[in-house]
Amino acid sequence: MKDKKILRVILIYFLSILFAFLVISIIVSIFGYNVIKVLKTLLTTSFKTTFGFQETIKKTIPLIFTTYAYTIPFMIKFFNIGGWGQMLFGGTITAVVGLTLPYLGINFPSYIMIPLLIVTGILAGGFFGLIAGFLAAKFDINPIISTIMLNFVAVQFLNFIATNPIYRDPFEGHPITLPLPKSGTLGFIYGVPVSIIFAIISIIFVYVLIKKTKLGYEITAIGHNLDAAQKFGINFQKTILTTFFIAGALAGLGGTFEVINIHKKLIEGFAQTSGAQYGIFGVLTGLIVAGDPVGVPIAAFLMSVLLVGADALQRTMQIPVEMVFLSQALIVLFIVTFRERFLRRT
Amino acid sequence: MLSFINSFISQTITYAVVYTLTSLGIVISGRAGIFNVAAEGIMLASASIGFIVSFLTQNAILGFIAGMIMGGIFGFILAYIHESFKVNQFILGISLVILGTGLSDLMYKLIIGVKLTAPRAPKTPLIKIPFISEIPIIQAFLNQDVIVYFLYFVILFAWWFYYRTKIGLETRAIGENPKAADVVGVNVVKRRYLSTIIGSMLIGISGAYLPIVITGTYMPDISAGRGFMAVGIAIFASWKPQRAILGGFLFAAIEVIAFRLQVISQNIPYQFFLMLPFISVLIIMMIFKKQIEYPASVGKPYSRE
Repeated sequence: MKDKKILRVILIYFLSILFAFLVISIIVSIFGYNVIKVLKTLLTTSFKTTFGFQETIKKTIPLIFTTYAYTIPFMIKFFNIGGWGQMLFGGTITAVVGLTLPYLGINFPSYIMIPLLIVTGILAGGFFGLIAGFLAAKFDINPIISTIMLNFVAVQFLNFIATNPIYRDPFEGHPITLPLPKSGTLGFIYGVPVSIIFAIISIIFVYVLIKKTKLGYEITAIGHNLDAAQKFGINFQKTILTTFFIAGALAGLGGTFEVINIHKKLIEGFAQTSGAQYGIFGVLTGLIVAGDPVGVPIAAFLMSVLLVGADALQRTMQIPVEMVFLSQALIVLFIVTFRERFLRRT
Repeated sequence: MLSFINSFISQTITYAVVYTLTSLGIVISGRAGIFNVAAEGIMLASASIGFIVSFLTQNAILGFIAGMIMGGIFGFILAYIHESFKVNQFILGISLVILGTGLSDLMYKLIIGVKLTAPRAPKTPLIKIPFISEIPIIQAFLNQDVIVYFLYFVILFAWWFYYRTKIGLETRAIGENPKAADVVGVNVVKRRYLSTIIGSMLIGISGAYLPIVITGTYMPDISAGRGFMAVGIAIFASWKPQRAILGGFLFAAIEVIAFRLQVISQNIPYQFFLMLPFISVLIIMMIFKKQIEYPASVGKPYSRE
């Protein structure tokens, strides 16, 4: 029985990807591109060169964080579209702390600075997630609305910090802050960001949280049957708040690493890649894994493969990166449709 | 002072087209039981195709028609996947938002391409009523483009349809109790398709209005969250058309006020004014918490079993 279900799941993913690539192939050939070459570039760029693989990992790390931000509230049937805003807010506050300390003449060594910035990112992102959780728990406001409104608030807040006279780089026309002090930044090992260590820790953390703790058990129970869970004394409102805090904290942590490891300063639009922002890609990846935190790292990696392929397509064949974004959206649309068709009816 | 009031009302009405048409579109499909969370994606896709068509043909009206058709296509997809495959409306809506976002930039880049100077949309025809269009204040309402008049028409028609016709009453009943409506012989599924497609067409027109009238040119992410704000308006309006219309005008006014304060204000950084519309949505939804009612069947697929 279980084997049959796994077979069906594989079939669903396979069919969805096939259908999406079929649609893309048609669009691409209408505009006169070589379909075989497009598909080959899209799927193999990550594995052909070391640089391609490093780029893929670089995109996978933030994507893991934003996908968790979507997935954990989704386990109790809430939609957190605010991974982007939580990421921006976490990164922004991290930059504020990282730049204010040297501005005040306080210089910590990196073994204090780095943990401090990481905790800052976790708390800031968590706070931003908690706002949406609070609005959902106390005022019954659907997080789809509140998280998106908060995304735009975070965008403006980032802009405010990056153009603030204390922080901004006076020689830049674009909203960009001064670089963070050396003690507050992370480096690369073999071209891979050091933050991968923290990404792996987060993967283990989420796995243990969901599978081995009481909170994880409560989350699963609410996801299966809210009424029954409440009858057994699980506090629903508290669980909403906790899940949104954890989701926001993870997204904020992702933002921190983008700031301290990738850019080493705060840049407007730092959470952007391949034609869209990590929040949207996180939602897409989250829709693919459908509330199963175990699948998140794998799905995030595969999405990044497509993103790196998308960048290569734009460089070598002048195909807009949005083509791949569209194909990912189609994959997801087919997956959610086929999933209902083949799984729920049994 | 008079000219200030005039220009304020006039600008508010321009933005009200976007908010009101979109939230009315969401209300119309919600009344039949389909919660259209995809408004943002529909607006973006329609904005892109509307601008492309109006720019290539140099005819604004054709652009609006193209946007409307794009909206209709999205509405059909939404209704079809929801009714035939019973996919959760929120998951479906979010997927369609992302699809519309990707589609909008892609179409623009493939068809128009990257230009050094931003291409401008052709002028939308204005309607001027002789004599009446000269009176202050009233002038702000009537000295407007065709789509504003279309909005006035839609408002009157929606009121008449839902409160003065039998079909309107039946459609409202579908949202409350589809089974009972089915028993008395209303074709629930057909009505849901129609309502969603018509509602999405209105959203499509409002999407096309953004690049053709408000900004005059296309840019990525042009709707900037207004689609989701309209969803918020539809919710706190409890899916009542008249309240959605009021909400649309209210948010248009908030956006115009935020825009003007940002120019005048010296001490407060302008970014905080740009946050204002988004924060207002949340505050208003908190205030109206007690009064919000959902049509009983909204969000659930209908099956006869």
